[in-house]
Amino acid sequence: MMQGPLKPQFTGARVTRLEDARLLRGRGRYLDDIDVPGTLHVAFVRSNRPAARIVSIDVEEALAVPGVYTVWTAEDCGITMYTERYDVGQPVLAKDEVRFVGEAVAAVFAEDRYVAEDAAERVRVVYHPLPPVLGFDEALSDEGRRVHAHRANLFHHTEHQTEGFAEAFASAPHRAQATFVTHRQTGVPMEPRGCMAQLDAATGRLTVYVSHQSPHQFRSQLTELLQMPENQIRVIVPEVGGAFGIKAMLYPEYLVVADAARRLGRPVKWVSDRTESLLADAHARDNRHEVEVAFDEEGRILAVRDHVFGDTGAYPFLGFPGAVGEAGWATSMLTGPYKIPHVSITVDCVFSNKAPEGAYRGVGGPVGAQVQEGIVDLVARHLGKDAADVRRVNFIRDEDFPYQTATGNVYDPGSYAESMEQALALIDYERFRREQAELRRQGRYLGIGICTFVEPSAGAESEAGSTPYEAASIRIEPTGTVTAALGLGPSGQGHETTMAQLIADQLGVDVKDVVVMHGDTDSAPFGGGTGGSRSGTIGGGAALRASQEMRQRLMKLAAHLLEAAEEDVELVDGHAQVKGVPARAYSVRDLARIAYTDVARLPEGMQPGLEVVVRYQPPLSTTYSNGTHVALVEVDTQTGFVRVLDYVVVNDCGRLINPMIVEGQIHGGVAQGIGSAFLEELRYDDSGQLVTTSLMDYLLPAATDVPRMRVTHIETPSANVGGFKGMGEGSLIAAPPALAGAVSDALAPFGVFVTEIPVHPQQILEWVQGRVHSA
Amino acid sequence: MKPISFSYYRPKSLAEALDILAQEEEAKVIAGGQSLVPLMNFRLSRPKTLVDINGLRELAAVEADGGVLRIGALVRHQELLAHPLVVQHFPALAAAAAEIGHWAIRTRGTIGGSLVHADPAAELPAATVAHRGVLVLTSAHGERRVDADAFFYGYLMTDIAPDELLTAVELPLPSGVRYGFAEHARRPGDFALAGAFVEVAEAGHAGAVTWFGVGGRPDRQEMELSPDAASRGRQFAAALAELDGPEDEVEARYRRQLAAVAAEQAYQRAIASGRGN
Amino acid sequence: MQSVSESAAAGRPKTSITLMVNGQRHTLDVEPRWLLSDVLRHQLGLTGTHVGCEQGVCGSCTVLLDGQPQRSCLMFAVQAEGHDITTVEGLTPEQGLSPLQAAFERHHALQCGFCTPGMIVTVEALLRENADPDEETIREVLSGNICRCTGYQSIVAAVQDAARVRRESGAAKLEVAAKGQNEAAGGEQA
Repeated sequence: MMQGPLKPQFTGARVTRLEDARLLRGRGRYLDDIDVPGTLHVAFVRSNRPAARIVSIDVEEALAVPGVYTVWTAEDCGITMYTERYDVGQPVLAKDEVRFVGEAVAAVFAEDRYVAEDAAERVRVVYHPLPPVLGFDEALSDEGRRVHAHRANLFHHTEHQTEGFAEAFASAPHRAQATFVTHRQTGVPMEPRGCMAQLDAATGRLTVYVSHQSPHQFRSQLTELLQMPENQIRVIVPEVGGAFGIKAMLYPEYLVVADAARRLGRPVKWVSDRTESLLADAHARDNRHEVEVAFDEEGRILAVRDHVFGDTGAYPFLGFPGAVGEAGWATSMLTGPYKIPHVSITVDCVFSNKAPEGAYRGVGGPVGAQVQEGIVDLVARHLGKDAADVRRVNFIRDEDFPYQTATGNVYDPGSYAESMEQALALIDYERFRREQAELRRQGRYLGIGICTFVEPSAGAESEAGSTPYEAASIRIEPTGTVTAALGLGPSGQGHETTMAQLIADQLGVDVKDVVVMHGDTDSAPFGGGTGGSRSGTIGGGAALRASQEMRQRLMKLAAHLLEAAEEDVELVDGHAQVKGVPARAYSVRDLARIAYTDVARLPEGMQPGLEVVVRYQPPLSTTYSNGTHVALVEVDTQTGFVRVLDYVVVNDCGRLINPMIVEGQIHGGVAQGIGSAFLEELRYDDSGQLVTTSLMDYLLPAATDVPRMRVTHIETPSANVGGFKGMGEGSLIAAPPALAGAVSDALAPFGVFVTEIPVHPQQILEWVQGRVHSA
Repeated sequence: MKPISFSYYRPKSLAEALDILAQEEEAKVIAGGQSLVPLMNFRLSRPKTLVDINGLRELAAVEADGGVLRIGALVRHQELLAHPLVVQHFPALAAAAAEIGHWAIRTRGTIGGSLVHADPAAELPAATVAHRGVLVLTSAHGERRVDADAFFYGYLMTDIAPDELLTAVELPLPSGVRYGFAEHARRPGDFALAGAFVEVAEAGHAGAVTWFGVGGRPDRQEMELSPDAASRGRQFAAALAELDGPEDEVEARYRRQLAAVAAEQAYQRAIASGRGN
Repeated sequence: MQSVSESAAAGRPKTSITLMVNGQRHTLDVEPRWLLSDVLRHQLGLTGTHVGCEQGVCGSCTVLLDGQPQRSCLMFAVQAEGHDITTVEGLTPEQGLSPLQAAFERHHALQCGFCTPGMIVTVEALLRENADPDEETIREVLSGNICRCTGYQSIVAAVQDAARVRRESGAAKLEVAAKGQNEAAGGEQA
């Protein structure tokens, strides 16, 4: 996998993380840990109406609260996040009209957060209520009000149909239909969002600390919206306590904080509380797919028709209106690992009076996979065939790669069928089927769900923006230690370790001697940040390429000093030596010292110092990871509770940099998938109020909800340098469909077929007791 | 998520606490605070004065006396669930206390706080009703005792007056009856969706079921409990039909179903507890 | 909008309290309403205690009060007077990691690290009470601490391993165990 003669010592190994010590000792520095004297703390006054005209805002009483510095409304901060494509702007503080519950209307700046909240309560907003638009059908109906008066609620419509679809669909021996629904969910990183900004009195530069995934993209957006030169803004992303996509977005609060810091001349800080997070972090999912599938006697799927409805909420996030991103991903990946020759896809995305939708891990992937596996299970049930057999009939096989899907993707090689066969063997599928029948006779309902996912990764476009490359700078300091900087924005993925592994192997040094920096736009080279499972692949590629270039420099210098040919020199254990002759060697430390301070000894034409910056753009616009998840559940038909008894994952993300970290990502994604399938739902009531505003209502999976998982790997390398494929999202893409499918399988005797997630125990009892029918 | 300003008192004696409660307007007693502080953080609870009774160790005792177990209001859930007298005489109560919240909640939350908060899905109000407990309410004017069944009015509403402090709950030591407890929550540690305490006579079929999580308060219904499971199921269903459930029809049906399942499990546990002895 | 000058905290009197945190005595002025979590973090600079919900659900702010795990977001700092408070900083040796922290590192039981101090505090209390907890007990105890990254699997493994190490070394004293464990952890790396 490595280029050059090196036998990797660290790459592919279970290296414990360089990040861990500080985090375990409680020394990680997250956004709210940054305390600067004189800071003004912000509390936002948020709309308690889903739709209303703002008649008046009275801040006098709030200003009178001792300790309050000032209060801003749209009159004081008129920044608007405008999306030209849809001709819709979101004022950072609501102007004239509010469009969702939780929209910021005013900002109170005070000496501490307690006082700020005291004053926020005293801001009097008079609203004239408007009828809220709360769902797809309402948004699309002729009678429905417009969320934005100047434009229709339907803001994004696409159609795609393969040639010959109509005939293939009409002439198929069988057809079935189902409507798949995913309700609103969100990422809920344990560290809430936050932002702190401070003007440097000496230079006039603005430093903005933010808990974010893409420091450079964030700086570009600030540059534009604050109309400041890029070099006058420094963005620092400190330790990030989880992100999951929602921290890739630009939020109005950040602009208020940054604008206030420069105009009030005081440090300004805002940290979201959990209620604000649930109200105003990017929401996600909230899709409906109306699907028809045409198939033959063998279960071969011949054509799929999908009409997607996506609700993006009140405003499009800049660069990433969630519903469009989700519908795009879901429909692009609709055929998953299957050879489905014909599709007809219609997408309708609407505005509504709900919180804006943005990115959440997997974006449209889980929804697309729910449809993709749902139709396979539907076909199996129609034909009375085994669900695994129907998959076998439809899989794209090794000889088909590169495979062009009916939706226009070109898949690089993967291991679709193999991953499923291995996963079924791990869970002992045949034996389970026998036991399942026996247990049913005893009144126990167990089921297995299968999801063979395909995860597009390292794409040129993602919620992290459209930066098809990543950058790495590497410098060997005069004393021989290695400092690298990348434009990534990690939030727990362990980039400081994985990047150091790659670099250490190339430079022949210990992984602990490599310091990887990120998150500071003053020191990190411009890069795309973290999102769309791009960091390991594109970032890793950049780290590899930069360290290879550095390695060349070291070899060249050493060869010159040793008076040997370059090809006769090797880098081993921190030394450059003539192959097999450890006595003839220069340590990397010596080489560095010479490169910086004894420059007369450098070969002709070599620049002093040891520093490189490399940008890496992968040859493929996307590389596709894959794998299979199999969930085994038991449904209690007395209580409606679902227990996950066993869970296996066979994962293929190409070459592994650190299997321990990859497995950690998978475990976490499956846990989130359990939340997605059974627990997590942002619920709006009929009047447009969000009723799940605490973690007592928005239920996250706890240690008792998540089973022990078994994970194994297949490595089908990508064509990218290192052979890596991204893998941050596949587990959350695959888990919800696997779990929903397992419930369908368990309750097949009752005719249950799950098409809507999360699945609630109430629903299960209604189905089991025959009161309502699913699907 | 920050509380409003309040005055804070930490009385050193019960008398001092009662004086403060008598004098201060809109005062609120804080014991464990595990229900109160979240509400204050949400600014849904806005006391002007907080009277912290955590220093009143005289309220933290568990003692059996004259056929009654007296549990001080400050006894924390984690103490309750392991206290030898509770485990010996009220195993269903101990089992219920173990289901409250999580460890870090149980180490601080108190029985008095739970009873006065009166969440209809909480275990201890139901346990107190099930065991025909008496709540001891004390004020500067004296003491009064209220049957648990009469104490709970409805959702977060009780008979306690603003100047009163719940000092203890007294449970008559069971004789000739056994208790079982079961509940169902979405996740361990969550408030129950529904649960039940079942009382069965050691001789004959007399019994009672105390339901919680279905209506706005715990409900105790006495009934002859059929030894036949199917008939018992019908009895439970009929009893539950009399309770006011949640407004939403599906939710109400679901809560009743879970309560019936819990009652059957509680019944089985009550019967089994007899076999163990 | 015009600005109003900051004024003394009229109507919000502060009270002087003495807190015993990690064996150190601190005297400070607080408003009665200040949550213990806020005072630990922003008055005493002990930012290892994290705030994830202020609703008593997530467990990130868990500290030990007289050795018992409690939510510091559900307690006012004034209430903590007269009690011994231990935060993650107090469970961390001068150098390196405690045996429990080292087990977390070995098993990759943390990703973003935000819930981690709350986990360490809770599990430290568990292992002091129960030298050999089974998986069910561990999961029940951990269920009061939400982790969004790891799926808990590696945390459970770390706790089991830490319990084993603790039993085998018979370690009663954190300091003694910490040294040996750090060496062991270093030896296993990569």
